[in-house]
Amino acid sequence: MTTNTSDIRSSYAYKTATNRLGLWLFLLSDSFVFAGLLVSRFYLLGNTRPHLEQTLGLIVTAMLLVSSFFMNRAETAVANGDQKTFLNGTLITLILGIVFLIGVVGVEWQLAPFSAAEDVHGAVFYMMTGMHAFHVLTGVIFLAIVYRNGRKGLYSAEKHWQVEAAAVYWHFIDVVWIFFYPALYLIGKVVG
Amino acid sequence: MKHFIFVAILVAILTVVVGFGLDAIGLMPELASLQGVVIDQLFRMHIWVISFLFALIIGFMLYSIVIFRRKKGEEGEGDHFEGNTGLEIAWTIVPLGIVLYFAFLGSTALAETRRADPNAQNITVVGQQWSWRFEYTDYGFSSDELRLPIDQQALLLLKSADVIHSFWVPEFRVKQDALPGDGMERELRVTPTKLGTYKLRCAELCGTQHAYMLADVIVMEPDQFDEWVEDQLASVSDDPVERGEVWYGQYGCQACHSIDGSDRVGPSWFGLYGKEETLADGTTLVVDDLYLHESIVEPQAKVVQGFETVLMPPTGQSMTDQQIQDVIEFIKSLGE
Amino acid sequence: MTNQKVNIFSLSLIRGMVFQVFGTLVGMGVVMLIRLLMGLSAWNAEPVWVGGAFIGVITFLVGTGAFRDWTKMAFGEQVSEHLEVDPNQPGWAKYFNISYDHKVIGIQYGVTSVLLLVTAGTFALIFRTELAAAGLQLLELNMFNTLIGLHGMVMIASILLGVGAMSNYLVPLLIGASDMAFPRLNAFAYWINVPGAVLVVSSLFLGGFDTGWTGYPPLSARAPLGMQMFFMGVYFIGFSSILGALNIIVTTLRMRVKGMGLFKMPIFVWAAASTALISLTATQLIGLSFQMVMFQRLFGMGFFDPAKGGNVILFQHLFWFYSHPAVYVFILPGLGIISELLPVFARKPLFGYKWIAMSSLGIALVGFFVWAHHMFTSGMAEYLRVPFMYSTMLVAIPTGVKFFSWVGTMWRGKMTFETPMLFTLGAVSIFLLGGLTGPPNATVATDLHLHDTYWIVGHFHATMFGGFIFPFFAAIYYWFPKITGKMYNEKLGKWHFWLMFPAFYVQSLGQMRVGLLGMRRRIADYDPALNFDFSHLLITIAGFVIATAVLIFIINAIHSLRKGEIAPSNPWNSRSPEFFLPSPIPEHNYTDYPFEVVGEPYDYGLADAPFVKFDSVPGAAAD
Repeated sequence: MTTNTSDIRSSYAYKTATNRLGLWLFLLSDSFVFAGLLVSRFYLLGNTRPHLEQTLGLIVTAMLLVSSFFMNRAETAVANGDQKTFLNGTLITLILGIVFLIGVVGVEWQLAPFSAAEDVHGAVFYMMTGMHAFHVLTGVIFLAIVYRNGRKGLYSAEKHWQVEAAAVYWHFIDVVWIFFYPALYLIGKVVG
Repeated sequence: MKHFIFVAILVAILTVVVGFGLDAIGLMPELASLQGVVIDQLFRMHIWVISFLFALIIGFMLYSIVIFRRKKGEEGEGDHFEGNTGLEIAWTIVPLGIVLYFAFLGSTALAETRRADPNAQNITVVGQQWSWRFEYTDYGFSSDELRLPIDQQALLLLKSADVIHSFWVPEFRVKQDALPGDGMERELRVTPTKLGTYKLRCAELCGTQHAYMLADVIVMEPDQFDEWVEDQLASVSDDPVERGEVWYGQYGCQACHSIDGSDRVGPSWFGLYGKEETLADGTTLVVDDLYLHESIVEPQAKVVQGFETVLMPPTGQSMTDQQIQDVIEFIKSLGE
Repeated sequence: MTNQKVNIFSLSLIRGMVFQVFGTLVGMGVVMLIRLLMGLSAWNAEPVWVGGAFIGVITFLVGTGAFRDWTKMAFGEQVSEHLEVDPNQPGWAKYFNISYDHKVIGIQYGVTSVLLLVTAGTFALIFRTELAAAGLQLLELNMFNTLIGLHGMVMIASILLGVGAMSNYLVPLLIGASDMAFPRLNAFAYWINVPGAVLVVSSLFLGGFDTGWTGYPPLSARAPLGMQMFFMGVYFIGFSSILGALNIIVTTLRMRVKGMGLFKMPIFVWAAASTALISLTATQLIGLSFQMVMFQRLFGMGFFDPAKGGNVILFQHLFWFYSHPAVYVFILPGLGIISELLPVFARKPLFGYKWIAMSSLGIALVGFFVWAHHMFTSGMAEYLRVPFMYSTMLVAIPTGVKFFSWVGTMWRGKMTFETPMLFTLGAVSIFLLGGLTGPPNATVATDLHLHDTYWIVGHFHATMFGGFIFPFFAAIYYWFPKITGKMYNEKLGKWHFWLMFPAFYVQSLGQMRVGLLGMRRRIADYDPALNFDFSHLLITIAGFVIATAVLIFIINAIHSLRKGEIAPSNPWNSRSPEFFLPSPIPEHNYTDYPFEVVGEPYDYGLADAPFVKFDSVPGAAAD
């Protein structure tokens, strides 16, 4: 009887379910950082927002939203054994993620007419985008590993926990941005 | 059943002993403000509830330990009972009622401490590392000690020139932090009810000399207070050196700069004017008006060697140009 | 066994420390290089040290080998479920190495915790000596302030690690698991504490800091360099807390033995899981608040700088959102230990099991909504004070349920008073003192007087001693035979208790007394006019007695480990499954001793109602 239980416990499915619980708890924990940043933003800036490049904001946001679609496609594909769509989807997500990073850190940070040290608007803007960009960067690295392993054929329809984890993490980053984008670009009166 | 009667007696005795014992010791310092009256009443109620609950739990514990314990040579296990839902509900509901009642008392007492008197005297209290300044805005002078007429409410407007400080006179009971920044002024109302000299003690850790951030608080008869105000208004000197000495006390310079050459956190002012100083970056300069002015307004601009780790607050930014000039004249007068 | 030679560079700890030193130097070099490339002068103590310290922590972890398996996994290589112990190494070596065995990790946590306890206690003895009389005799002001801050934070680290020790060692054993759900994460979560603690203590040598453990800006934004080391060290320790908590929750939910429903878990598991819920989430906010001050100092970002439009109150909200619930992280496991041990020594069921379980969860959840009671005098928005008073008062309800249930457990119990039970009873009485002195602080009006005084110091030391220190020692004595296979010395154990218990009352009541009369917190010197000298002298003496008691404990532990009597496998006649295993417990716990849960955990005094049923008779395997 008990040996039976331990057999189930050491199965890939049981372990994946355990890992899944762990991942979601990690995201719960991480979401407190972002919630803390949002609270700080509204506490410090209230009904004002920094002067930012609207078109660029819209473009990078679109990039990130679209990337989530491709990631979802990749995950469904690997679960159905469609390796080609899986690899393509992952690669596109990866590229869109890098484009997002370049858009925010490479362009928006340079275009912004204020520095981090200038006043509290600058501080909040660089902190929020910086913290989010750091997560995007880790997501991109994660995707790169998944892509590499995918090309080596390490994932099957039954065993692809790493792909699922990368996808869930990527969607999480996306959802965070869905809150950050309006908080930084849309809500409140422009200052400076 | 007889066990419960014994325990009840034990708990009653313990409550009375602890409660009256604490009352007899006299837990609080002397009371010298109207706002403190409700606070002391509420605290005394707390102490009685604490005494009862402490006696209740300790009474049952002691009784169980002494009476029911496993005696020598005794075998077997304790009585088997796993709980009692009725009891559990009771000791959830009853304490809930008690704490909600206390929270209610707490909020009415809080309202009482904040009751506004339209005739209150306005005083701005400025905390700075590591001294206090009291600006009597109704009269237009300032002082480094807080003098209050008895039985008249003072509306204290608290602010800070640098880090967070906290206004606390134990005999007044009430406490409020003083915060830096525009729009961060906070109010505190105090109505002194007892003549005497007390100490204002900064209650929020504010850096190295926090322990010594004190000021005298003197509660006086109203006519004496008026006399003091007259004196203060009359004593604004024509001599910039004398005025400078007053600012030296009020703006907290004395916390770090001695005027007799002795060592404190910052350089002494004795013989400072005209002296050649070596700066942190190795260059030298002669202390003149310009350098002093800059160091008062923007202290980190040119730091003297040996004081690199000391962060002087930008005291000059809350002073008028005339006041800064007075301080410079005062420095010139030292060690001449 | 001890004759075997060990190459010390094969030990993770040593490798990690060597790597940390080199990593720090390299990190400092990199920052200087970047500064040169940016056209700045190479040396600026703050960024260079911070950069170096950060890289140093990462390289420490690389050096220990904490990343090795994960790197392999990332590239699709197979890794073994357990880390094989090198048979050529003596038994003690595994405690200095990466291990995935939750029991080894639990011991690593525990020993580190005691080391930090001694460190922080020594800091306390130094500044208590200073406070024994008015005036400054021993310390200069900056050193005093640094020491009180470090005493606070190193103690917190010690308690967090002590909680980690109890959760890691006990939770898998109590729920019948062979290990934690994520053994590698478990090892990682322990090892990141080591460089973190090194950084926190290093602040002492890098200028110190004058803010106390709370690190409020703007003071912390202007404090010496030690402040940054303090912030970063705490940041990493917090990271450990988050990952450890995640592991506990998953383990509790996924690894229970057959038949163990949630309400059949030993009560400590409820406490540990409730605690983990707080650590998992709230810890992020102290991390964020410290990070924001660090960035303010490094990059001039003006979050808390009034001159740049920042607000100093925001920090306090973020800080206390963790730091209040953190108090429940410290005490809930201890209260769980009390509930776990009372039935064993009273020989009767735990009174109101479900109520106690739910009260742990209740305290954890209510704890999220009470943080601003630390800010009643801070100048936060006025309208927040009354609601936070009400929410804070609610904490008294589940806490009360625990006390009444403990009394119900003791009532008519056939209690015996071995050392673990003495510490349990001592914990109840001291935690009672700490708990009852809470409501006056929760009531805004009375708190206006009490806030930031020694009354508060007395109050929370009572909660910490009653909620953690005493139960922690109770747990160590109780499981000592199970961990080591040796019995501790009962006589020394009793000395430990009878010195520490009365001394603590003197210390705590003394602190409360002077606090009410006007003694502020965190002052190096007090006004002789207040006549506190004698009280302070008593408090200091009591502090030294407590230190002596801890010393006796350490002597007892070391001596018993080497020369103690061989312990029977179930010295307390407990019903818990781990007491049916041989002592010391075998490496994979129940793998060779499968069992299932067939009854209630605390049915003491009920015939023929076992809690667990083993497939074979494990008693035979013992000795």
